[in-house]
Amino acid sequence: MSTFVDRLGIDRLRQWLPLTTLVILVILVGALQPVFLQPATLLQLASDTAVLFILATGVTFVIMLGGIDLSIQSMASLASVVVALTVARFGYGAFALAIGLGLLAGLLSGIAHVRLKIPSFIATLAMGGVLYSSALVISGERSIMLADAERSYQSWITGTVFGAPGVIIIGLVVLIVAHVLQAHTRFGRYSAAIGAGEPAAYASGVKVGRQKIFAFVLSGGFAALAGVVLAGRLASGSPTLAAELLLPSIAAVVVGGTAITGGVGSIWRTLVGALIISVVRIGMTFLGVNIFAQNIVFGVVLIVAVAITIDRSKIPIVK
Amino acid sequence: MSTPTTSATSALPDATPAKHVSRFRLASWAPVIVLVLLCIIIASINPNFLSFGNFVRISQAAMIPLVLGLGATFIILMGSIDLSVEGVLTLAAVILSMLVLNGANGNDYGLLAVLAVLVIGAAVGFVNGVIHVKLKVPSFMTTLGIWFIGVGAANALLGGMAIRINDPMIRGLAIERFLGFARGVWLALACLGVALVVQNYTRLGRHIYALGGGEELAALSGISVARVRIMAFMLAGVFYAIGGILAAAQLGLGNAQIGNGRLFTTVTAVVVGGTALSGGQGSVLQTLVGVLIVVVLANGMVLMGVPPSVQIGVQGLMIIAAVALSIDRKLMRIVK
Amino acid sequence: MNASSPEPVLSLINVDKRFPGVHALKQVSIDLRPGEVVGLIGENGAGKSTLMKILSGVYQHDAGEIRVGGRPTRFLDAADANSQGIGMVFQEQSLLTNLSVGENIYLGNEKQFTRFGIMNWRTLYDAAARQLAKVKVDVDPRARAEDLDFASRQMVELAKALTLEERGAGHLIILLDEPTSVLERAEIEILFARVRALKSRASFIFVSHRLDEVLELSDRIYVMKDGAVVAERNAAEADVTELHQLMVGRSLQAEYYREPLQKTYRAEIAVEAHNLSLAGAYRDISFQLHRGEILGIAGVIGSGREELTRTLAGFAPHGSGRLAVDGREVTLRSPAEAVDSGIGYIPRERRVEGLVLFLPVAANITLADLESLSRHGLIDAREERRLAISWVERLKVRTPSINTLCLNLSGGNQQKVVLAKWLNAKAKVLVLDHPTRGLDVGAKEEVYDLVRAVTTEGLAVILTSDTLEETIGLSHTVLVMRDGEITHRASANPGAKPRQVDLIGHMV
Repeated sequence: MSTFVDRLGIDRLRQWLPLTTLVILVILVGALQPVFLQPATLLQLASDTAVLFILATGVTFVIMLGGIDLSIQSMASLASVVVALTVARFGYGAFALAIGLGLLAGLLSGIAHVRLKIPSFIATLAMGGVLYSSALVISGERSIMLADAERSYQSWITGTVFGAPGVIIIGLVVLIVAHVLQAHTRFGRYSAAIGAGEPAAYASGVKVGRQKIFAFVLSGGFAALAGVVLAGRLASGSPTLAAELLLPSIAAVVVGGTAITGGVGSIWRTLVGALIISVVRIGMTFLGVNIFAQNIVFGVVLIVAVAITIDRSKIPIVK
Repeated sequence: MSTPTTSATSALPDATPAKHVSRFRLASWAPVIVLVLLCIIIASINPNFLSFGNFVRISQAAMIPLVLGLGATFIILMGSIDLSVEGVLTLAAVILSMLVLNGANGNDYGLLAVLAVLVIGAAVGFVNGVIHVKLKVPSFMTTLGIWFIGVGAANALLGGMAIRINDPMIRGLAIERFLGFARGVWLALACLGVALVVQNYTRLGRHIYALGGGEELAALSGISVARVRIMAFMLAGVFYAIGGILAAAQLGLGNAQIGNGRLFTTVTAVVVGGTALSGGQGSVLQTLVGVLIVVVLANGMVLMGVPPSVQIGVQGLMIIAAVALSIDRKLMRIVK
Repeated sequence: MNASSPEPVLSLINVDKRFPGVHALKQVSIDLRPGEVVGLIGENGAGKSTLMKILSGVYQHDAGEIRVGGRPTRFLDAADANSQGIGMVFQEQSLLTNLSVGENIYLGNEKQFTRFGIMNWRTLYDAAARQLAKVKVDVDPRARAEDLDFASRQMVELAKALTLEERGAGHLIILLDEPTSVLERAEIEILFARVRALKSRASFIFVSHRLDEVLELSDRIYVMKDGAVVAERNAAEADVTELHQLMVGRSLQAEYYREPLQKTYRAEIAVEAHNLSLAGAYRDISFQLHRGEILGIAGVIGSGREELTRTLAGFAPHGSGRLAVDGREVTLRSPAEAVDSGIGYIPRERRVEGLVLFLPVAANITLADLESLSRHGLIDAREERRLAISWVERLKVRTPSINTLCLNLSGGNQQKVVLAKWLNAKAKVLVLDHPTRGLDVGAKEEVYDLVRAVTTEGLAVILTSDTLEETIGLSHTVLVMRDGEITHRASANPGAKPRQVDLIGHMV
């Protein structure tokens, strides 16, 4: 049974690789730039990671099922525009509106995917187009700065609670809620089962379609929340506000060790993945890498991470 | 081990192939009908639609999506997807702008530069194919990564600037006309011709269909699946590079935003043309029809005063509608 | 005729093949002579398909020798088998339906029709037409394969196999693997006529589950059972009943099927079907299944029993008639509805539909009933652990821990986990769809023990099985189906089990 042993070894390696990578990266960057290890810098790192983490968390639910959501960056941007346009009139209601829209968009993506049987990457690519277009239209194709009076509503994002930045608190709440959903509820278990073996889950009486749609709803909702937080931090809303965040989000999920074939993964891993992405980004900034060229690194990281985490025994034909 | 679990239905005597036939015949003609109806509707609202000047505008709007769509069609025919369109196109446009006569450096390589760009397109496609086939990374993930690597590389080369193209041959693709249409349009048509030949008259083209129709069977017949896949991605890369040349010619410069939104139009055109995402069904001619649908619709919306920003949303809905109508759900028990 | 026979074109000498846990082929020796049709029969799992896969290059044999034209060889892959003159005609699914007939015939060998890389379609289609003429089928080589009926597709495959002649592959050997399963009688006769006409060009190995057809077409017949060749007969001297007995062979061993443990079933009805029909699959099916009863359904492929099983498991809702589970009338539109009605399905594709292989044992056991594990919307992990451990102990699942992925369990233990899942979900009815497929003898016996135990506790069981003897041995009642209808009902009380021959008469 040597294959059995091999498998265990590889599984263990796969499991601990992301965290090890994170630790090594932190030490490496800290050695290059000692200022990186100061509490203030680390706190800043955590704050900067929050939006990425929230986006990545949402898409983790979809990836766990073996699907993908390519509309999250458009949803987040749309949410930022909605907040910027309506916060003056609705106050805190604007946030609820934006997140409600996210849930609705996720529901529509999910229905298009499940009921019309459109592959998720194409359904969400299309939905992303619809959302982007909506954001362009309602914003008049420009970015909208928040007035000072409107910024007061953002204090739960920009302010601090007991010395901790609000955005970190939000990130922690997301972490707890998402972790409980993923690890301790029936939905989380069914997702893992569907991702790991959809026919068996179906034959065991799992309502596969319903679980999938719910995952897309979560993805849309978290994407909208990420947009809301981003709007608060940048004090503006724009149809392209989150455009650059799709790749890092998916990379965060995959780098964390969640397999894109589904079934294996957790919110904790996504947190580790998001932190890795942030540390890499900061490290590159320290090294003076052009901010646009950083996409090269993320693209490479994404492909390498997928290549490492993918379980080839599960996919006889790769398309 | 791989016995399909649908044996219950496959043994049914009423599962005659006849039903299948009419479905596909309709599916391949539906886009043409849609295109004709679209033209009639727009023309009846705004007769300007039928003017020669408008045809020229449509042809110019269609040339780049067509070239990109040709490349993407081959990938989608295999049942894969290529999201690296914008990455390859941007990289090609930027490198071209740096190698031909331009406003930023002293280079003037002319045709040689064009050749270099085509080779780069093929090389990126090769990388796509090798990662996808050898590392068994699903194509949408491979090409998602390559997409951003391509755009990132273009950005790194430019350092945030834009490079003006002064080469008359390149500019001429957009400016110079032949029989009333821009040279670039003729180039795009030539690409269509090449794509048709590859699709219908080469082993590569036929094997792409075979892979899309049933990869295991194709492999059993001695077709080298890996080779066909890699070559298809290379072919697509060359088409995207040509798209990059045309885009640079049209804009008159190379910048890192030159590819924005092009993937979306490309995928819309291919699927609206009726090429099935599941592979094996479709053709580059259908992609021509799909491109025309997308471009005519956009043109019509402009004529009717609809803001361009709405077009993206309309395209999104078109993708969903087209895929939903063309998918053969019986063949796909599990959709991911 | 045997004595004066010429050198065989293909010889298998003591060919052996093992898979983990299964001895699939045991010292199999078969000869195929020039111009001969050899029939190969056996029940599911007898080793026919493994043998065909070795001959077509999908698997390689572990021991023994294969000779083609007297020369020892082996087939590395499909292309290699082709180049050594082995052609294949499988069921209907081996043409690419999106390509033309001509392309299918020359798929992978188009190079001869290209010049400077450009395909000359006329020469390809002309050549394809010549191939089609060999099998005398009137099909346009330019037609798309999907537009052809199944019989024509079969002929095209035959034509494709004959292209090997042109490649100078020596004497042609064509494997016919269940080629008749989707054909009508008239189409079968045409196919057989073509095969007979082609005997001057090739030798054939014919695999079918329809004995009468094997007798009709073959010159000689090999009977396989449990991975070994148990008999060789000249077709002229064999008859259906004898062949069937050779296939199922083993005299019934009461002990093996735990007959002493077979208890009388209870009076309460668990499932009742009345005139149940599904277009194209089965019709007018009526039966009563009582608590504690095992109802075996016997029938050959195409008898409708597989579809009936899938209906009861929720995969293919019935079209008309009534189905009542526990007295409540139901239409089972999805497995979820079947589970809600108290039905648990143990599928033949254990590793696909039975278990989520990449989830741990515990998660698989609780998968069908997480509701009762949930407190305030959260899964009670401690209770889950406790349940999983208790099931593992009760069913004696051999696993390192309840956190082990099911992937790493042996087939028998995987099957126990599936059973544990349904017992944990308090299923009242179990649908056993070939429950012992792929298991070795020891694991089978354990499954039999468990099935007896759960019926004693009052579960009702519907059983379809690979072998008739298993059906008879386990069941209280046996239904025999043919062409979608029930043709016979037999009670199978211990000591008074029906004989296989009697049931076979109602099956074929």
